[in-house]
This record gives sequence, structure tokens and C-alpha cells, in this order.
Amino acid sequence: MEKPKKDGILERTAELFDLPGDIVAGMPRVVLTGNREFRMENHKGILAYGSEEIHINGGKMIWKVQGTDLELKAMNANELFIMGRILGIQIE
Amino acid sequence: MNKLVNFLRGSVDLEVEGAFPERFLNLCGQRGILFWGVDWPGGQVLHITVTRADARRAEGLGEKARCKVKRLAPRGVPSILDRFRRRYAFVAGLAISLTAVSVLSRYILVIDVSGNESVPTAVILSELWRSGLRPGMYGPSVDERKIANEALLNLPELSWMAINLNGTRAQVEVREGIKAPKLVDKTQLGDITARASGIITRIEAESGQAMVQDGDTVLEGEVVIAGNIYLAPPEYSGYEGKWQQVRAQGRVYARTWRTLTAEIPLETDVKVYSGAEEQRFFLCFFDRRLNIYTNSGISFEKYDKIQETWSLSHGEEWQIPISFGRETVRDYTVTSAAIDTEAARAMLEERLGTQLLQELGEDGTVTSTTCTAAETDGILSVTLVAECHEEIGVFSAWEGQPDGNAQSNTEGNGSIDGTDD
Repeated sequence: MEKPKKDGILERTAELFDLPGDIVAGMPRVVLTGNREFRMENHKGILAYGSEEIHINGGKMIWKVQGTDLELKAMNANELFIMGRILGIQIE
Repeated sequence: MNKLVNFLRGSVDLEVEGAFPERFLNLCGQRGILFWGVDWPGGQVLHITVTRADARRAEGLGEKARCKVKRLAPRGVPSILDRFRRRYAFVAGLAISLTAVSVLSRYILVIDVSGNESVPTAVILSELWRSGLRPGMYGPSVDERKIANEALLNLPELSWMAINLNGTRAQVEVREGIKAPKLVDKTQLGDITARASGIITRIEAESGQAMVQDGDTVLEGEVVIAGNIYLAPPEYSGYEGKWQQVRAQGRVYARTWRTLTAEIPLETDVKVYSGAEEQRFFLCFFDRRLNIYTNSGISFEKYDKIQETWSLSHGEEWQIPISFGRETVRDYTVTSAAIDTEAARAMLEERLGTQLLQELGEDGTVTSTTCTAAETDGILSVTLVAECHEEIGVFSAWEGQPDGNAQSNTEGNGSIDGTDD
């Protein structure tokens, strides 16, 4: 069985002092608008791409966006924007 | 909107092939290279679309991501223009066309005149020509206000003029002045006399004394409303009567009879075309004619010259001042021929009828007409006798003082009235 990843010191500090994790620890910040738009800040890049599943590197976790007609609309070093019919999001 | 922007700035489809194509995507994101249309069917091949400006940078990133980047179809306006880069004749033609459009569109090609009713358009155009506005002028060099003022000074019938330049069209808007009514000089004394002989049907004396009544017969030149009025004294007063001089005014209607005669020879010269003709062609650019023929001489002794022109036009209002013309020269000889008597008579009767109406003016009416025709020495003579009803009063000024004791009543220096002249 795979070992669960431990949180880093920054994540734990943010949690302890009730500070925003995306600012203090650079954790991914995700905005989901309905089931059509997926916006993520602080990503670390795309790992796999397809119209039904897109894998995004979120640092200490991998985000798997699942759906149909998925398309990477825009992307820069910090943010990415996916459109399509989103059926599920899985975090590993 | 995005599609339009991408079309205008141009885009390039790229095929990225490598062990880790996602690295290429991430590098593009990090370097701020805008991309869309990501198609990753799986395996090691990825298709993306980048802007034309970023295509070269994206190709450079391929080496860093250890991918092979291949350009596929370029899209958008820049790539369309790129296709014409080596078509020198096309580019030159396009450049010339654009220059011609941008330069020629600043020249005046058409002058429109509107707002005139009694002043002919040709008169206004001629005056504008003299003042410096004509087709073929460079629009920005035209001083509209100065030209309008100059033209207005020479066209007293107009009260206002404005010139607006819209591209190749000069729109000239004018307003006609209102004619000043005829001023009657009331210091000028006189009578109303009969312009023609007739039987009085109605008399309206506004000033002066009516000398005739309805049913009276008057001769031409007879006084019908006298300006010299006798003021009778009261009965048994012992005073003497006095005379007062005024300008007689009024209208006098009468039945009149007019006799008009017209003649026409029953033989006339007619043209007989021999069938021989010559054709010449020419071009007109603005007012300059360019002949497309060398021999300008005409070999016929007598000829008709018929000119036809064709120009590019859009409706009747908009015409390009470039026209193509054909001139046909037809040879003819002149011979005498008898004319149809009945047709000649009908023509003369019609002509006399028109002349009668012109002489009667707007107030007069024709009650009845009789026409007679006679042939004498090859000449057809038609006589029209018409009974009319018309206003026959006409003002006749006195040259000296009339008889009687003079006591002028000028009633002011003048008044506006157009009834008795």
C-alpha cells in the first residue's frame, strides 16, 4: 500500500496559524465554476493531457481533472485554465 | 472575438514530438507563450497552436524539452499576405491601386446642385466653374466658403449657398431669393386704358373713376378708369366743383376678339440621306476630349453630325466624368418636297392656339375659336379668330397735367401693388 505523503513544514505552519496555504506554502488554489471551468493557480505543470483527462502537477499532489471535451484554454507559469464538461476531480 | 483576433494576428499549428511532450507545454506556459487548441491524442505527439509571433520562440523551446517541433499549416492574415510576397506584379498592382484610390478619391469628380427651382443648374455650375470649383480639382485645395461667396455675388437670384465636399462629390446646396414685389409709384398719375377693343363684362375700379359700365363697348386706347376725378360740390351750396388727380388703379374685364394669322410654304427643303456615313470614337476625361482617330477631315459636302456618349454612372445622379463617345457623320443632299396640306394646317392651327394662350396670359380664357385656311401662290395661310375673355386694363401715365383744376392727391410716395401694370 502506498504511503500517504506528509505535509511539509510550510503547510503545517499555515494550518497551525490559520494562514492561507496558497500564499504561505504555495499550495494550489482551485476555482471551479459549475462543471465547465477549472482554474488553478500555483500549478507546477501539465503531466498528461487528453480530452477526457488532464493531469496537473500540484506540487505534492497530482490533480486529475476528468470529463469530456476538456481543453486547456490558457496557461502560464502560475495559472492554467481548463474548459469542458468536468465530471470529476481526483487528487493523489 | 478571440477567433477574429487570432485570425488578424496570425497563428501557426505546431506538431511536437518527443518523449515528454508535456514538458514542452509547461515550458510554453512558463515562458509566457500563448497557445491554444491543444490536441494530445496520446503517445509522443502533441498538436498545439501558437501565435505567429511566438512560433519561433516555441520552436526554440522544443530543443530544451527534447522534442522535435514541426510547423504545420500557418493561418491568418499575415500568412495570406506572405503568399503574395513574391508576386511582385500583384504587389505592385495592389500598391498602385491603393495609391490611386487614396489619391484620386481626393479629387472632385462630381458636382451636385440642389435647392434651385427657377435658376437653372447649368447657370450655377457655370458660375461655380468661373469661381474655381469644377470636376478634376484637388479637393483639399478648394476654399468652399470663398467660392460660395464669389458665386453668390454673381448670382443675385440666389440668397444662400453652401459647398460641402464629400470624398469625390461636391454637394452644392442653394436657396433662391424671394423676388421683391413690383413697386407702384403712386406719384405717377394716369388713367387705365383699354389694351384691346371689346365689350366690358366687369370693371373693378380701386382708385379713380370708372368711365364705362358692364356691356359698354370700348376701343383700344380708350380710358376706362380715369385718374382725373371731378368732386361735385353739395347741391345748392354755391361752391364750385373741384378736380382731383390720382393714379387710376383697377381691373377691367372684357369680351375681346383676336385674329391671328400664320403662313407656311407648301414646298420645303428636306434632307435625303445617301447612306454614306463615317464613325469616329473619342474619350472624354472631365472636359478634355481625346480623339481616337487621326483623319479629322469630313469628305461630305453636307452632313449631320450625331454624337453619342456613354459614361459609367450609378443612377442619374452619380456619374464619373470619364466618358466614351461615338460621332457619326451622315452624308445628305437637299431636295424640295411637297408637304402634306392637312398636316401643315393642323400644325399651324396648333401653333396659333399656343400663341393665343401666350398672348392672353394666365387671366384670359378662350371662349370660342374659328380657323380658316387658304392657299395662295404655294403658301398655306391659316387664320384664327378667337373670342376671348380677358383683362384689358393697362395703366397710361399722363405726360402733362390733365384738364381741370389741378389738386394732386399722391397718397404717399409709393406702395406695393402689382395689379395695374
